Parts: sequence; structure tokens; C-alpha cells
Amino acid sequence: MVALSIINVLIAMGVALFGFTLQTSVAGVNRKIIGRMQKRYGPKWYQEFRDIFKALSKRGITHGWVFDFGVMMALGGILATAMFMPVANIIAFEGYDNFFIFVYLFAVGMLGMAMSASGSGNPLASIGVMRALSQMVGYEVPFMVVILALVSAYNTSSISGLVAIQQDLGWNIIRLPIGALVAFICLQGMLGKKPFDTFIAPAEIASGPMVEYGGKQLGMLFIMHEVSVFVEVSLFVNIFLGGGNNVIEFIAKYFVVYTLANLIANTLGRFKIDQVITFYYKVPIMLALLQAGLIIFLGWGVN
Amino acid sequence: MTITMIVVGLMALSLVTYVVSKMSKGLGSVLTILGPLVALLFFLLEGSGIASGSSIGILQFGATKLGWFFSVTMLIVYGCVAFFNPYWMKKLVHPSAYNMLYILSLAGTIGMFFAVDFIVLFIFLEIAVFASMFIIPFGKSRNAAVVYFAMSTFGSFAFLYAIFMMYGKFGSFDISFVLGQLATEPTTAIWVIILMGIAAFVKLGIFPFHIWLPMAHGNAPDTFSPILSGGLVKIGAFIAIMVVAIAPTYEVLKNSYEVMGLPILIYIVLIIAAISMVVGTLMAIKQDDAKKLIAYSSVANAGYIIVGIALNDQLSLSGAMMHIFAHAIASAAAFLSIGAVSYRTGTTKISELGGMIQKMPITYTVYLISIISMAGIPPMAGFISKWLLFQSLASHGLMFIGAAAFFGSVGSFLYVFRPLSGLFLGQLKPQHNHVKEAPIFMVVPMVILSGISLFFGVLPNGLLNFIGKIQVELGVEGITTVDTAIMGNNGLLDPTLVFINFGLGFVKAFIIFMSLSKSRKVGLMDTYTAAEFVYDPNVYHYAKSYYAPIERLYEKHPDIVALYKGLVQRVVDLGRLLQFIFFKTKPGTTALFIVLTIILVLWGEKIW
Repeated sequence: MVALSIINVLIAMGVALFGFTLQTSVAGVNRKIIGRMQKRYGPKWYQEFRDIFKALSKRGITHGWVFDFGVMMALGGILATAMFMPVANIIAFEGYDNFFIFVYLFAVGMLGMAMSASGSGNPLASIGVMRALSQMVGYEVPFMVVILALVSAYNTSSISGLVAIQQDLGWNIIRLPIGALVAFICLQGMLGKKPFDTFIAPAEIASGPMVEYGGKQLGMLFIMHEVSVFVEVSLFVNIFLGGGNNVIEFIAKYFVVYTLANLIANTLGRFKIDQVITFYYKVPIMLALLQAGLIIFLGWGVN
Repeated sequence: MTITMIVVGLMALSLVTYVVSKMSKGLGSVLTILGPLVALLFFLLEGSGIASGSSIGILQFGATKLGWFFSVTMLIVYGCVAFFNPYWMKKLVHPSAYNMLYILSLAGTIGMFFAVDFIVLFIFLEIAVFASMFIIPFGKSRNAAVVYFAMSTFGSFAFLYAIFMMYGKFGSFDISFVLGQLATEPTTAIWVIILMGIAAFVKLGIFPFHIWLPMAHGNAPDTFSPILSGGLVKIGAFIAIMVVAIAPTYEVLKNSYEVMGLPILIYIVLIIAAISMVVGTLMAIKQDDAKKLIAYSSVANAGYIIVGIALNDQLSLSGAMMHIFAHAIASAAAFLSIGAVSYRTGTTKISELGGMIQKMPITYTVYLISIISMAGIPPMAGFISKWLLFQSLASHGLMFIGAAAFFGSVGSFLYVFRPLSGLFLGQLKPQHNHVKEAPIFMVVPMVILSGISLFFGVLPNGLLNFIGKIQVELGVEGITTVDTAIMGNNGLLDPTLVFINFGLGFVKAFIIFMSLSKSRKVGLMDTYTAAEFVYDPNVYHYAKSYYAPIERLYEKHPDIVALYKGLVQRVVDLGRLLQFIFFKTKPGTTALFIVLTIILVLWGEKIW
């Protein structure tokens, strides 16, 4: 336990709390933006906070111990993932913020949620989980291939290390535009934004995994969702946009990326699940392999 | 206690077990528990410096750290699985034979891991193979045993041929001497490497030899599937380590054409391993039988093991060995939990089950922990090995192999979730209302295996340091660890920190959960049904063709089984032809044929 002192842990918890506050606010602002786009007034920017606290304060139902345990596991896993995330110059566990931790520790949270949803006994929830997992096979592989090339070229898999390298060389999005494009398409899938919102699909499968939730379980899953969006978007900001020299810069980049994803989502329709997978295995994977080849064989853009 | 005494003791025990089982089945099955556990105790007490013991005739053993590591892994699996044997005594056709073969296959594997010459190694390998081959038809299918035998024989003959080739060149069966000499004879060396590589592939169930795994694992008795997956297939990994790390493979291949800085033969092996990962994953996703599903996942995981062994560097080899251990434990636990469900319900088909968590919560937890390890998710041991392998892949810049490994890794989330959701979660079938939790002596070994998965996922460094020593013994740089952190080529991993963070996150979530108002408990049928009235749990459970949208995308895939069936047909046709020509009605032709064959054989002997 080289890195573990109380200070580090407190900073890490601060990062997780910051991430939650940031994403919930940004999501609220985005609801306003989308509202204005659709010639509506839109809710207040803190509407998301209201929703969460309302859900938390209600008395809900439970479908058994795994239904509750899964929710706790989901929130716990995602909070733990967020604790590793470097935000601008605030890095809780320097050197330990390994990329693979983000992918796999994140999966703990996702597994918890999937388990809880399936444990509700509602087939619609199981279908939603099935779709979410299927979609994961689509977006994870191209994303990880691009990161593998980056790790191979820069010889570091720590996110703060990748950020430091970009401060010398310039942003990855400029030097490696193909990889950044792939990562952005994958981010859209990770966030479950249209056209990849197949696993939630409100009118189709009654919000899929979320169908049975209410009360505090729903509130906790809202928190988990906001923190997981924070992790996903921050990964993109850190790996491709050079993180940030200070928190303000980080927040600005974060806002731009999330809003862009949201704007795209609100102009597109929804793919069917098999279309999602075939899409990811046509365009993004080819671009990802192209980018990886350019980096590994030709060394373009990395020196 | 010396290795010779343990191996000979186990072989003697197998006979004793048979006799005892003939008198009392229960007592015999208790012996199958005691045998591996006592042997494990000796190995742990003596440590890796265990004495090899005096030789008996050609039976000679040499203590190695590698052999110790494999033996202990194997003994943990055998010891834990054996607790299930007493419960299966009534279900098996020949319980006493089963008990005898169970111990015999263990003796075969342990003897093989410590053999110092090739003949002893081969004999013990065949003991293990034959013992397991006779157990498989005790289950659902005789055909499975035939396929297993055919595949296994193919591998064994390749191995035997390699041994004889080396004997022909160097005039010795001594493993370290012969393998050390290989570098002087590059042409022979390449053939030996390929032949022994085939043997390793067959035993591990690498594509295209993977078809025996689902057949054998899926149809073997429920108590023996965990042994096959957690134990016996790892023999292939042992042979693979022998080929790549003990034999001077990289030195032999140093002049060959290189791809990505690796000899072309190694790169081809990596590609085959990558195909195994993808094929194993895709096939596992579409299985409805939970045992077949885990069997196919063993194919995919064998791919990871081969990638790690073939790269043979500091991180990859330690990753491969960690994966051998982690996967052995996790897949044994997963098979056992499915076996426990099968013991209570009589089926392993996912679509015939559902909601077992309500009746068997501990079995469910065991399955959950084992799949977390199998899918390589922290805080379980499987994550450590996958992390090490990915580090190695990234530093080699192997992007295509990496893509396959990532696909296998993400795909594993899919297939492990299928039994979790379809079999354990969801609606309980009315006919399973009377089902109870597995008996206590079935629960105990499962919990122990889960504990091992968790322990080495949080504090892997004791094991990794030992693996580092094995690597030094094999002439590879050993893995380095600092306190609880593991040093990678391009980053650090602190599994303890990951676990503590997860714990903190979970505690926070728990506090939030507990501090809020208590939820009202409702039944599983009391759910949102879009205003439909559903009263039958059977129709309200999503388990059949779970991943239909994905399965549809590759439903028209070419099937390797068709190729094997074609080959079988050709052999049968040839046999018919020979029968027609030589064995018809005239005894004279038959006699002529036999004499000609004998002459041919003797003649071949003379030129060789």
C-alpha cells in the first residue's frame, strides 16, 4: 500500500463527490439547452439534483436481497472507479490510475446493476441488460484497441501519465484525430445516448434495466449513473483533450464534450441492437485498427 | 514425505479405494477426499523444496518449483471437488471404478509434473488421460469419451513422436538434457517444437482441437467436469511451458522471419490463440447448457494462457501462470455451483431453470464470485492475470492479438451473465419450489474455492513472488512486486488499493441505503407488466436464447465439427474398402494381406 494514506483517500472521495456534482449540474444545464433547442423553456439547471433527492426520499419497493445488494455493489463499484480518476492537477493515486482499472473496476458497478435488474424478476429488465451487455461488446473493443496503441507508443498506461505526455506534445485529438473520432463514437455508446440508447429504449422495453426501480434504489442508481457518466467523459477528456492545467479548464472541456454528445443524441434516431453491433464492427473497429497501425508501425502522431 | 512416496502412495491408494468402495461406497468416496487433501498437506508442509526421493526402477522424479506450483493447483481442485463425490455415489453406474479412476488421474498428473525423463512423463500423462477417459462415459454420453479419446490420442502420438525424434538425435530421454541440446539441431528442434505444441494445444483445447472440451465437460458426471476444466486441461499449459520456456525455443527460432519482433512461428501460435479466444467466446455466448457454456469459456481462457506462455517474457509468463491458477480455481467453482444446482434439480439447462437464488443463495454467491474472477473483474484473482497479459500485449504493440483478447474479455461478461441471469435470477419455476440449498459438505468446498479467488485477487503478491521464482528457474526475468503493488511495463497495479477503494465505495453506498426509509418487500411476480395479467412464472422469465440478437449475427458460421465428421467418414470409407478387398470370403487374401502388412512394418523398422 504505497500510495494509500488518509489524505489520498480523502482526496479521492473528494474527486468522486466533485464528479457527481459536476455531472449532475452539467446534465441539468444540458436539459436546459435541449429544451431551448426544441423551443421549450426547459427545467432549472438543478433539476437533476431535485430528481435524485426526491427519489431518495420516497419509500419504494424491493424484490429481494439481490435487488438491494446489486444497487449497493453498482454504486460502490462506480464510486471506487471515480476515486481513481485524475481531475486536472488533482490526482489521488498517482501512478495507480491505470487505464485497465477504469475498464474493469467499472465493470463491477455494471455487473452489480445488471444483477440487481435481473433480480427484479421482470423480463423487460433482463432484455435491457442483455442489450446493454451486447452493446458493450460493440464499443469496448474499438476503444481499447486505440488505447492499446497509445499505451504501446507512450509506454504508460496511467491516465495521469498520458495527460502529462500531452502537456509536452499537444492534445491527442489534434495529433491522432482518427483515434479520437473512434473514442468519441465509443463514448456515445458508453453513455447510452442516441443512436445507441438501445438498452434503455423507454417506449420500447419500458426503460429496460430500470423498469422495476423506485424510491431509494432508483435514487442510488441515478447517483451511480451520474458518476459513471463522469468517469466516461473524463476518460475522453484526459486521454484525448490533455486533461487540464486547472479545474476550470477541465470543467470547460468536460462541458464541451458532454454537450456535444448530447446534441448529437438529440438529432438522431435509435439503432436496433443488432445494428449497433454491426455498426461498431464495421466503421469504428476498422478506424481503430487503422489508427493503431499508424501509431505502432509508422509512429505517426506520437513523437 | 518425498514426491516418489506421494505419487506411488496415490497410485496404491487408487487400488485401495477400489477395494474399499466395493465394500462401502461411502467410505471409498471419503478416501477420494482424504487422498488429495493429505497429499496437499504434504506439499504445503514441505514447501517447494520438497525432496524428490529415491528412484524406483525408471520411476524417478525431480522437484521443481514449476511442478510444485502445478501440483498444488491441481490438488486444491481435486481436494475441493472430491467433497461432491459422496453425493454422487448413488447416481453413478460404477461408483467404485469412479473412485479408483479419480485418484488414479490425480496420481498421473502429479507424476507427470515431476517427471525427469520423457518416458515417465509420457506414461503418467497417459495414466491421467486414460483414467479420465473411462470416467467421462459415466455421465450422459459415450460419444463424448470417444471424441475425447480420439483427440487425446492425436496429441499423445504427436508428443510421443517428438520424444522419439529427440531420442533418435540425442540418445537420451532425460528432459533437461535433451531440451538443452535442441539448440544444436535447429531442424529437429523446429519439428519437436511443433509436435509438442500440438500436444499442448490438444490438451488445452485450443482451436481447432477445442471440440472435445464442450463434449467431454458437458457430458461428464457433474463431479468430474470441474476436474476436467480446472485440472486436466492445465496439463496442456504445462507442456506448453515446457516447449517455450524450458526448451530454448526463442534461441532455435532466432534466425527465422520475424513479425512484430517475434519469430513467425510464435506469431502463428499467437494467432491460433487469438482465434481460440474469439471462437470460444462466440460459442459460449450461444450455449443453453451451463456446463457447455463454461467448457467453451475454458477454450477462450486457454487462448489467454497460450498467449502468455508464447510471449515468454517477464509479465506475460507470470500472467499466464497466474491465469492458470485463477482460472483453475474459478472454473472449478463455477462447475461445482452448476453441479450443486444439478444435484438439486437434475438439469443444467439454463432455459429449464430460473430463480434458483431464492432457494440456493450460497451457491449463487459462489457462482457470482467465480464468474467475476473468470471475467477478469477486480477484486478477484482473474483480474490480476488479465492485467499482466494486457500489459505485455500493449508493450509488444500486438494490436490484432490485443483486439481478440479484448473481445474475449468483454465477451466473457456476456457469457458468464447468461447463467447468472437465466439460471439463478428471474422467476422461480413452480416445480422447483421444494428445492433446498446444497448440503453443507457441498457448500464448504465451494466457499473455500471462492475464498481463494478473492484472497489472491486482493493480496496476490505472495503468489506472484513465488511465480517470479519459477520464472527465474525457467530463465526468464521474474515479476517484481513492491509491498502490495505489482510493477508492470507501463504502469503499476495495487490490487489491495483497488479492493480498499471498492470497499469504501460499497460502505458509502451501504450507509446511504441504510439511512433511508426501508423498502416494502414484494414478490417477483409483482412487477410492471404493462397492464397485462401474468400469473404463470414459467412464461414470465427471460432465459431462452438469451442473446438472440447477437446469435443471429453469426448463426451461419462454418462449423469445425463438420470437418471432423468428414474426416471420420473418410476413415470409415477406407476401412470399408479394405474390408471389401481383403476380408471378404477367401481366407487366402486375408492371410496375404496380413503377411504383407507385417513385411511392410518390419521393412520400415529396418530402414529407419
